Amino acid sequence: MAQTDVKRSPLSGVRVLELSYAAAAVTGRHLAELGAEVIKIEPQGGEAARLTEPTEVLPSGERLSLFWLAFNVGKKSVCLDLSDSDGERRFAALAAEADIVVTDYQRLGAAETDRLHAVAKAANPAIVWTDIWPFGRGGRDENFPAGDLSIQALGGHLGLNGDRDRRPVRVGLPVAMLHGGSEAVSATLMAYYHRLNTGEGQRVDVSMQEAIVWTLLNSTMTWQLLGQNEERGGAVRKERANKFFTRLIWECADGHIFFSPVGGGMGVVRAKSYAALVRWMAEEGVTDELLTSKDWTGTDAFRISQEDYDSVSAIIGRFVRSKTMEELMDRAVADNILLAPISGIPGIHANKHLRARDFFERIEDRARGTSLDYPARWARFSATRLQAPAPAPQPGEHDRDYLDDAGALRAAV
Amino acid sequence: MMNTQIFSGLKVLDFTWAAAGPIATKQFGDNGATVVKIESTRHPDSVRLGGPFKNDTPGINRSGFHADFNSSKMSIAVDMTHKQAARVVIPLVEWADIVAVSFRPGVMERWGFGYDRLREINPGIVMLNTSLYGISGPWNAVPGFGAQGQAVAGFTGQTGWPDRPPASPKGAYTDSVSARYAAAAIVAALIHRKRTGDGQFIEIAQVETGIEFLAPQLLQYQLTGIAQERNGNCDPTALLHGVFPTSGDDRWIAIEVWNQEEWKRLLAVLAAPAGLAPDELDASLSAAPREDLEQYIGDLTAPWDGTELMGRLRERGVACGVVMRPSDLCEDVYLRERDHFWSLPHPEMGTLDYNGPAYRFEKTPSRLTSAAPCLGEHTDHVLRDILSFGDDEVAEIRAMGLLV
Repeated sequence: MAQTDVKRSPLSGVRVLELSYAAAAVTGRHLAELGAEVIKIEPQGGEAARLTEPTEVLPSGERLSLFWLAFNVGKKSVCLDLSDSDGERRFAALAAEADIVVTDYQRLGAAETDRLHAVAKAANPAIVWTDIWPFGRGGRDENFPAGDLSIQALGGHLGLNGDRDRRPVRVGLPVAMLHGGSEAVSATLMAYYHRLNTGEGQRVDVSMQEAIVWTLLNSTMTWQLLGQNEERGGAVRKERANKFFTRLIWECADGHIFFSPVGGGMGVVRAKSYAALVRWMAEEGVTDELLTSKDWTGTDAFRISQEDYDSVSAIIGRFVRSKTMEELMDRAVADNILLAPISGIPGIHANKHLRARDFFERIEDRARGTSLDYPARWARFSATRLQAPAPAPQPGEHDRDYLDDAGALRAAV
Repeated sequence: MMNTQIFSGLKVLDFTWAAAGPIATKQFGDNGATVVKIESTRHPDSVRLGGPFKNDTPGINRSGFHADFNSSKMSIAVDMTHKQAARVVIPLVEWADIVAVSFRPGVMERWGFGYDRLREINPGIVMLNTSLYGISGPWNAVPGFGAQGQAVAGFTGQTGWPDRPPASPKGAYTDSVSARYAAAAIVAALIHRKRTGDGQFIEIAQVETGIEFLAPQLLQYQLTGIAQERNGNCDPTALLHGVFPTSGDDRWIAIEVWNQEEWKRLLAVLAAPAGLAPDELDASLSAAPREDLEQYIGDLTAPWDGTELMGRLRERGVACGVVMRPSDLCEDVYLRERDHFWSLPHPEMGTLDYNGPAYRFEKTPSRLTSAAPCLGEHTDHVLRDILSFGDDEVAEIRAMGLLV
């Protein structure tokens, strides 16, 4: 590979084979952004995930899954029938010249995954092979069926969300796939780094359930230290450092904001934030002795009663309702107030902070007739850069770039 | 055994605090790197001040919140605002391969240790700066935590019931997301350094990593003008996709049914105890309005023990999961068999089970080597054994009030 390429992207010259449905597609996309050449191995005609709902019909007339469209940019596609010996031979030829394979549980079953791993390892003993499965590989739960909702439940996060008077509620995104897929990026890179240092390849096993457990942050410690299971909450919940229920979601003039103005456990920034809020309210003629009659954010916050909290939050709530999200955030920016707008999708797309940072990458896909902003710059490197992804491939678009008619790897590859 | 871990020999100087940064640097400690957490009683890690505390008594070395993110690390106490801080920081930067920071932008520069200075001291250094909103842009200096991050990044708006305000997801959700991306970015920079010899500076904005998860919804909005909003547990493409009561106090099970075959298998399990034939049950449920379906299914699941029902449904290929409480996770046989938890002793907190990584390496197993350090627990060790300071030098800088 050219030295300039190595300088530009950390993974330039690294080849990845992707056998994915959802989670491994996330991994593959981010490895591609880091400069790897990512080749999707699809069945003839394209993989099932291209039509996972929700789908949309694009201007070209092609119907495509939105998840697929989001996470398959920047990749090549080679179609192989992995169930026959010819396909297996072609896969071995590709694996012989690859560095990494990423897979997930929805693309292949356990036995087929293990068979292909053996094929790849025989062709290339130094291959790094990553499996992303609901409960990891090899355990007795391995083959039990689980979708995103089930994994959110089994990871313990779902049970902590939602109003107490209703059933628990999930995060309304396929986060088990997304956490598993993004966790696999770092785990795969660690194994590849080890290979660079030692020449040794290995298998990497990522558990989506464990990835969800890592979103709880302190819940298993709370159980061990206090013998308490945290209670779920919605707009109102019991924060870890407080004895009382606090309002976290506040209605404002044009939507909702997140704000936890009073209580303990966030150090000096919360005290400063509260002082700035009280100052702002006073400027606008909203004063009440209660706002300053207690140490609402210091060590005394541990002793605030629910009644007192409800009284002070009623005053704050009236003030918040008189302001728009933009007014509230502008003041928060100017005065270090710990609040944030609850963004909807249009708000994220138009967000002026993200726009100023050039976070989105516009991808023009002439074949599909689309021009779409992708969230893209998840990291900024001073010496290298993330690659702007190319449009997502058509099934088998790159067959002939890699394999000749006899199934041998093309010499130039 | 030496050199059996991926980062054996790698050195990390860790200024991070709260959750996102420490979870990222923990991955290096748990995989063999020497991680020195630099902190001070004058400027303690904010999660040291947040519960749960041992015996419910606050204390700087008693927080379980802090503990779980800081396994396999040492702690040196240095007052970074002290005018002689460089006496310790410069040798540490010379020693390190990675410097990780998660303060608001500008804090390291104020202390005289921005990337330009670090690079002068150690040209090969890889420096991570992870913050809520990033270094640039109009919101860069706004303080905040993952709770603000999850609101801005869209997670809060996507969680909850359509007829109620959004539900704030448990935790500091974007901390959990950005830690994965930050660890990946650091390893990518290490790979680059291995191949070229060059260090570099990495910037991560927590909200941006979070928004990566909403890429499909952003595309949908641009293509159709439809903006997805919170919708409870509903997935309109499933026949059944919800959370249902089971026996016991506030116990639940998540069930997903995606096709007729799975629907029949679900009914085969639920019908018998209700004294019905599956076809009868199917007929009565088919006649029910869709909005009442969850109530009817809930009536059928309510007498069941959740774990038993999960077992029966799994045998029949119906995706489901008991809604685990934190205590269930701690006691879960499967997680125990997978060695998810690591029991680690701590001088003030006793032995606790720490959460291990979500990944397993076939040949280079991760290993949580120690509980989270007490603040400054390794100050002497780091100065004497890592930086080779003599007794007189340690005594001198201690007398200056630097090591607090």
